[in-house]
Amino acid sequence: MTEQTNILEVKDFSVNYGYGEASVRAVSDVSFTLGTSRVLGVAGESGSGKSTLVYGLTRLLRAPGVISSGDVILNIPGPDGVRSFDMLAATEEEIRSVRWTNISIVLQSALSALNPLRRIGREFDEVFRTHDKSLSKDDRKARAIELLAMVGLDANRLDRFPHELSGGQRQRVMIAMALALRPELVIMDEPTTALDVVTQREIVSELYELRKQLGFAMIFITHDLSLLVELADEIMVMYAGHIVERAVATELYNAPRHPYTLGLMNSFPPLHGQREVMTGIPGSPPDLKALPTGCTFSPRCPYAMDICREKVPPQLPLDNGTRLVACWLHEPSVGAAVPVELSKKFVSNAGGAQ
Amino acid sequence: MSNVTKGDVLLEAKGLTRHFVVRGDSGLFAKKRTVRAVDDVNLSLRAGHVLAVVGESGSGKSVLARMLSRITAPTGGSLVLNGQEVDLKAPRDKAYASQVQLVLQDPFAAINPVHRIMHCIERALLLHGTTKGDVLAKAHEVLESVSLTPPQQYLDRFPHELSGGQLQRINIARGLSVNPRILLADEPISMLDVSVRLGVLNLLRELCDNRNLAMMYITHDIASARYIADETVVMYAGQIVERARDASIIDAPVHPYTQLLVNSVPDPENLESRHEATAKVGGSTGFNYEGCRFSPRCPDAMDICHSNQPPVTEVAEGHLSRCWLQATSEQRAAVSITAKPIA
Repeated sequence: MTEQTNILEVKDFSVNYGYGEASVRAVSDVSFTLGTSRVLGVAGESGSGKSTLVYGLTRLLRAPGVISSGDVILNIPGPDGVRSFDMLAATEEEIRSVRWTNISIVLQSALSALNPLRRIGREFDEVFRTHDKSLSKDDRKARAIELLAMVGLDANRLDRFPHELSGGQRQRVMIAMALALRPELVIMDEPTTALDVVTQREIVSELYELRKQLGFAMIFITHDLSLLVELADEIMVMYAGHIVERAVATELYNAPRHPYTLGLMNSFPPLHGQREVMTGIPGSPPDLKALPTGCTFSPRCPYAMDICREKVPPQLPLDNGTRLVACWLHEPSVGAAVPVELSKKFVSNAGGAQ
Repeated sequence: MSNVTKGDVLLEAKGLTRHFVVRGDSGLFAKKRTVRAVDDVNLSLRAGHVLAVVGESGSGKSVLARMLSRITAPTGGSLVLNGQEVDLKAPRDKAYASQVQLVLQDPFAAINPVHRIMHCIERALLLHGTTKGDVLAKAHEVLESVSLTPPQQYLDRFPHELSGGQLQRINIARGLSVNPRILLADEPISMLDVSVRLGVLNLLRELCDNRNLAMMYITHDIASARYIADETVVMYAGQIVERARDASIIDAPVHPYTQLLVNSVPDPENLESRHEATAKVGGSTGFNYEGCRFSPRCPDAMDICHSNQPPVTEVAEGHLSRCWLQATSEQRAAVSITAKPIA
């Protein structure tokens, strides 16, 4: 595995719900690449398409969801070089061969992801039985115990039913199962949203350690931008199915370029400093059935110009191409004065200011 | 309602307690055990003030709100409304409900999905003495007070046609429609989209200031408590473990649980040291009813913490903590005498 390889390459990926005129576009022309062992954070509100995106990528999308365009390539490293696997062209049988083995997913609600009638041990056993037939029964149990230990759970949890575990413990079981076959890519869909902050902190710290140990790449989805800044190398902000901004995590947080990113950041009261009145973002989240023309954020955007209401903004590379922003404010030909809060110079913590 | 001045105590809980008897852990015939959901909680809700109650799930904060609104009967303690003790044996009457209103967490579940919004507001108004002729005007007025304009457009809709933020405003409007003096908001923003949360928080604060409402704001998000509240209490396992009248509870928490809570919040301003800070916590989640309830999880637990209930100590003016670490020498001395015979 070299530094340059991308584990996942996504191009012009779109997902619709329904067909024809009644269809709703939940994900629009999303393109990104994810490097080996990197963490990509996806931030957005409900309805922004972040979950639909990963369901589509992993072929878990159910009707009426339809993948309407795009390419998704998973680059699987093997003993004889990297194998490119086309996620969208693969048959159901081929998909099964990469699921769990190379790509796994942890869902938000562990309670509904675990079968309530089965003991935890049986869930683990099934994963191993399906994907690695060479393991004996005792080996499988030993592996399960080892995995539980990795996420800080005692071996006796194997005999428990899901309802006997706390929310945090269930989510740990899900994470342990996702790591069972040492996949190269793990997708986390709001794994900590339903948990208390203290439990969230414990799980995030564990993920941090596990990633140091095992080196898997991760796509982490959440609405909590400040959590992503801690975890992710890069952050993608989604709004109404579009990527509105994509940048290195610390740069995005310290110097946002898109008005929505700025609004999202101003929606979380800070833990420090003076108490002052904050506004969040006016208006309501978009209705995908009745999206405005032009920029989908324009009705709520304090900086909206005429062009924003008419034309969809292109993805503009900014700051030497290290980030992408879909906003007319940054298009030179429009000639808009970029407000000061959206044009801050990024000053790294190391003091490398320009 | 104009005879209320800011700061007046409107609702007071004295030693409020709720114990639930549940089946034991070890099988069908296990001994019953008692869950002390809320234990000996004292607090006052003041006109024009927001009291934030912070705690994790299971800390008893919702049971507390339900007792204050008299949906759940306490098993101990008393309530004082406007200086008069409430008869807790009698069923809740309309007069109590018209003064104390509860706003629930999930607006999608709190509003009847098969009726138009008007139905939900109208019912509350008619029940609490608005005449039929005045209902429409009054409904417009309450919707305007939660910034849903034009009101008629919202009254004619069904709940599924509104967003979460709008529905929560309807939910708040319904609570306000009976002109309560006290509003209990149980996690009013945790189900909402992040971009509209602040709008609802700001609305609650404005209502509190403009109408001299006494508000209790229940949350698990300590940063939002810091944003809105005049006084903050932190609950753990049914007890108030720390309380303060300003932001000092978050800027300089003294109780180990509050410290843990504050340190757990994602904080991009302080990226280093995050992952190390909480590594030692975890393990047992059980409660210790003998000593300090937090002692099984506490990184700083001492011998005394496991055996004796910690006393409440005032660490600064109006800043109280229930922890042996802050106990005065007199408080420690008092225990060493009484604790001996038990051992």
